[in-house]
Amino acid sequence: MLDVAEAAAGARPRWPLRRPDTRTLTRAGVIGVLLAFVLFALPQLLSLYYVDAMTQVAVYSMVTLGLGVLVGRVGLVSLGQVAVLAIGAWTAARLLFATSMPYPLVLLEAGVITMVAGMVIGLPALRLRGLYLALITLMLAGAITVVLATVNFPNGGHGFLGYNGSSVHIPPIRRPGIAASDPAYFRFAVVVAALMFLLAAVHLRTRPGRAWAAIRQSEPAALAAGINTTLYKLWALALASFITGVAGGVLAGAVHYLYSIDFPTQDSITLLAVVLMGGAYSLWGAVIAALLLQLLPALLNNWGVSADWLTILFGLGVLQVLTTAPAGLADQVPKDLARLGRLLRALARRLAPSGGPE
Amino acid sequence: MREQASGARAVVALAAVIAILAAGCSSKNGGSSGGSSPAAGGTPSSTTVSTSQCGTKPGVKATGTPIALGGIVTDQPGTSFTDIANMASAYFTCVNNNGGVNGHPVKYYIETEQTNPAQIAADAKQLVQTDHVVGIVGNTSIIECSIDSSYWQHLGYDIIDSGIAPECWSTPSSAAVNMGPRYSSDGAVQYALTQHVSKIVFDQSNVPGTGYIAAGPSALASAAHVPITQLTENVPITDADSVAIKEVDDAGPAGAVVLNFTPPEALVILQAAQKLGLEDRVKLWGCSTPCNTDFLAQSLGPKWDKKLFVNAELTPPDFTSTATMNLYKAIFEQYGKKSVSGGIGSFSQMGFTEAEIAVHALESVTGSYTVASVNAAFRAVANFNTGMLCQLWTYGNYPMHIPNNEDYTVTPENGKMATVQGCTQISSVDPQIAAYRKAAGVASMAPAG
Amino acid sequence: MPSWQDFQPFIVSGLALGGVYALSGVGMVVLYQATGVVYLAFGAVGAMGALIAWSLINAGVPGWVGWLACVAFAGVVTLGYGMVFGPALAKRDPLIKAVATLGLTLVLFGLMDLLWTTSGGESRAITLPTDNSGFMIGQVQVNWTQVLGLGVGVAITVGIGAFLRYTKLGTAMRAMAGDREITATLGVPVRRVEAAAWLGCGVLAGVAGLLLADLVALDATTLTFLVISSLAAALIARLRSITLTFVAAIVVGVVHDLLTPVQSLTNYRDMTPFVLAAVALLVLSRRRVMTSSREEM
Repeated sequence: MLDVAEAAAGARPRWPLRRPDTRTLTRAGVIGVLLAFVLFALPQLLSLYYVDAMTQVAVYSMVTLGLGVLVGRVGLVSLGQVAVLAIGAWTAARLLFATSMPYPLVLLEAGVITMVAGMVIGLPALRLRGLYLALITLMLAGAITVVLATVNFPNGGHGFLGYNGSSVHIPPIRRPGIAASDPAYFRFAVVVAALMFLLAAVHLRTRPGRAWAAIRQSEPAALAAGINTTLYKLWALALASFITGVAGGVLAGAVHYLYSIDFPTQDSITLLAVVLMGGAYSLWGAVIAALLLQLLPALLNNWGVSADWLTILFGLGVLQVLTTAPAGLADQVPKDLARLGRLLRALARRLAPSGGPE
Repeated sequence: MREQASGARAVVALAAVIAILAAGCSSKNGGSSGGSSPAAGGTPSSTTVSTSQCGTKPGVKATGTPIALGGIVTDQPGTSFTDIANMASAYFTCVNNNGGVNGHPVKYYIETEQTNPAQIAADAKQLVQTDHVVGIVGNTSIIECSIDSSYWQHLGYDIIDSGIAPECWSTPSSAAVNMGPRYSSDGAVQYALTQHVSKIVFDQSNVPGTGYIAAGPSALASAAHVPITQLTENVPITDADSVAIKEVDDAGPAGAVVLNFTPPEALVILQAAQKLGLEDRVKLWGCSTPCNTDFLAQSLGPKWDKKLFVNAELTPPDFTSTATMNLYKAIFEQYGKKSVSGGIGSFSQMGFTEAEIAVHALESVTGSYTVASVNAAFRAVANFNTGMLCQLWTYGNYPMHIPNNEDYTVTPENGKMATVQGCTQISSVDPQIAAYRKAAGVASMAPAG
Repeated sequence: MPSWQDFQPFIVSGLALGGVYALSGVGMVVLYQATGVVYLAFGAVGAMGALIAWSLINAGVPGWVGWLACVAFAGVVTLGYGMVFGPALAKRDPLIKAVATLGLTLVLFGLMDLLWTTSGGESRAITLPTDNSGFMIGQVQVNWTQVLGLGVGVAITVGIGAFLRYTKLGTAMRAMAGDREITATLGVPVRRVEAAAWLGCGVLAGVAGLLLADLVALDATTLTFLVISSLAAALIARLRSITLTFVAAIVVGVVHDLLTPVQSLTNYRDMTPFVLAAVALLVLSRRRVMTSSREEM
């Protein structure tokens, strides 16, 4: 954990990046191998049902990444990330229907527009701290959801909104030419997600990352050390909004059809729950959170188990994480298994025939 | 401190147990307001009908290679169509116990979804690629037809569904047993127009496709030179009082309010109107098919008798005693009671009808049951008397399908839905209906007799 | 633009809804003042209580027993949560405490859908005896349940205000809102006061749940997330003053319903609580920095 003095010292120009050390190289190697497996082997091994589910995992891993940066690294809790995702998806869908721009350009534009929207809406909110900030994001998300329900998502119609309510046959949102099939689009989604993770990782290792750590540790101290807290908080908001906007763009192509009922306010609450459970402090936590959010329901649906059990699990997970394990599953699972082992041994001792006073 | 905490935990556990017991007592009995317990579809059904009539070889269990069929239904908090799939499943079970289809049992895979496009697309692929279904029957979903229609068309599946989304009636690969929100609303508006109302206020839930649905009533009203106001409400409705006031104020004393909502939302609006004494402030109230349940009739009470006119897409089960209707009730009693929580009513009727059509088509297949042969059989269904609809049902090789386009109108009476108007065609003023009748090459479909 | 005559009935329905928002908002503010927890599970707990009442009434139990069960359930669950998770999270930031109640919300929400399954065509409803009678004010029909909604809201606000000011327990709660540690050193039994605050909030949640189930709908999703609208009223009052919460809630309810007949805005009327809260927090407090430290109030 970085302390304030070091952060202030880090205010010296640090570009270009330091040469990576062995540990970073090993980690990069492992990630590279994993990525290669996911890109090339996974689509062959899974049925199309699970390829579709994993595409959703890739999309939402970007969303959880954005929220994780905000919550874990800067300490800003946002209860409105699903609304931001909706803005990104809306923008991408509108561009895809109205123009024939290449897909990467559409994603970039969707990301930038969402970033600007996030900054414009977020800047006045940054004056609020902690609880009030979280609650105001909930309010703003609620407002955006109502607007979306009336304005709807573009479906090939004309005008600014691009919504044709009377369509008897809605055209699908197009996919990139090279990634039209489901397995190919999965690979596309994973590549985009990897790029977003890289973007976030670069941020975390350079000046913004250090400034964010200082702000999370103690905002007054960071201010005193000369860090422009408002700028860096806005930067975090911009990064999270950009990444979520790009995720919205990838989502648009993945599902082909967008509906406002798919972005309800309560999903933002579930999103926060899984980010906390997966671990807001590590990038792996974002991947775990996305797996919880999108793969588990697909598995349960296949096994005929109601999705309600998952809601209950997430609720219990939030309570558990907040009371005992702030670093989430990424950190907690090894510790939990050890504790379970100790509990079992204690239980075995208590049930021994000698019988205790209990 | 620890005793306090553990004491509190015990209290919480006790509360949870009480809650679960209380819920278990009556959560499966179906809903009712206050305290009355409705008898679902109360006519004494003729128990002399044996369910073995569903199959060709009574009492003989089918043991051949199974024919795999699949269905996708919405099941999420607030909206659940599992009754339809479960009733279809009950029908298939009955057939399997009575000779099967030419000796083959039907294996029915049901996928549920929560209105998530990615999930719906994935469900379709699961059915086709993992479960290897040869036919799709029983789909009932808010958006599935939109999401999957090109997939089904591409693979050559002609689905038999109970639709909601526009594509269920406007694409070549889907034929529905119901009329859906647009044409059912047409029926309700048409009835209101026959009562010479001066204005129509059409209010519907703000789910995908409102413009498509509104176009039908708009066409009917303008052809009759009656002004129409189009409204939408976000669901779930949180301010039913103001919705009811708004509708009544707009319609005026000689006008009609026509609703297109799911039963709980429609009930909430109608009950709010009753609480505020508004039910008599307009000439009549109308509702599309979802309102056609005995449960609604009972919850509303006598003030709405001959005041609320509901469009019924299927033959009302309560006062009908034909062989097919009795078979339907008997199959429900024997095979569907546990899984079909809505009881006798339009949802289970739709499930029954879809399964009935599918089995009828499958029985005509000679040779092996492949995607090609099964779907060719589905497409070949023509002038089939389902016993549940006004008309004979035809799939056909048309670019669009609206095979059910004749309906009843019912009104609540003594806690049940009673027929007010028999089978009446939906007017060809609705351009889609006109297009279908032209494509099908008939001016009007033959009634079921 | 509709006439004044057209607006009148919406004022009545808006007042009723505002009254129940006030009930929820005041309940949450009082608990926040005493314990630092924004009880976001307020709606879920009330919803589950209402569903339990419905189940009991449906099974033949007399109405008042069902309602009592609803209030008792809500009170017990809230008290239980407070006693178990209160101490565990006592030293944490109010944001963490609020997010923890979101965990409770999710658990209850999942439980509700499991235990009271959505069935195809049927729905559930709670009816109170006041539902079927009313009176006229001018041209407008007023239903007694609407009066009940507003009346209970007023009574609770006034009652709690008096309670906080004039009773020993209430004064202790106000002291704890100021500084918990000092209050403890003065010999006030803070644990018991906290327990009372939790129980009281739970009881209010049960009452609000019943009224909302009647006035709005007996639907788990609707009732659980309606708390966000009540929260807006509490936020406008900056989680501080219960009088301001009451007024804000009434304003939110009335404005929301008044927008109903305005054709150009009617589809956006559900935004009312959120927009008003955002305006109050972002625009009106331009010159302040809002932290969640309770000392700042």
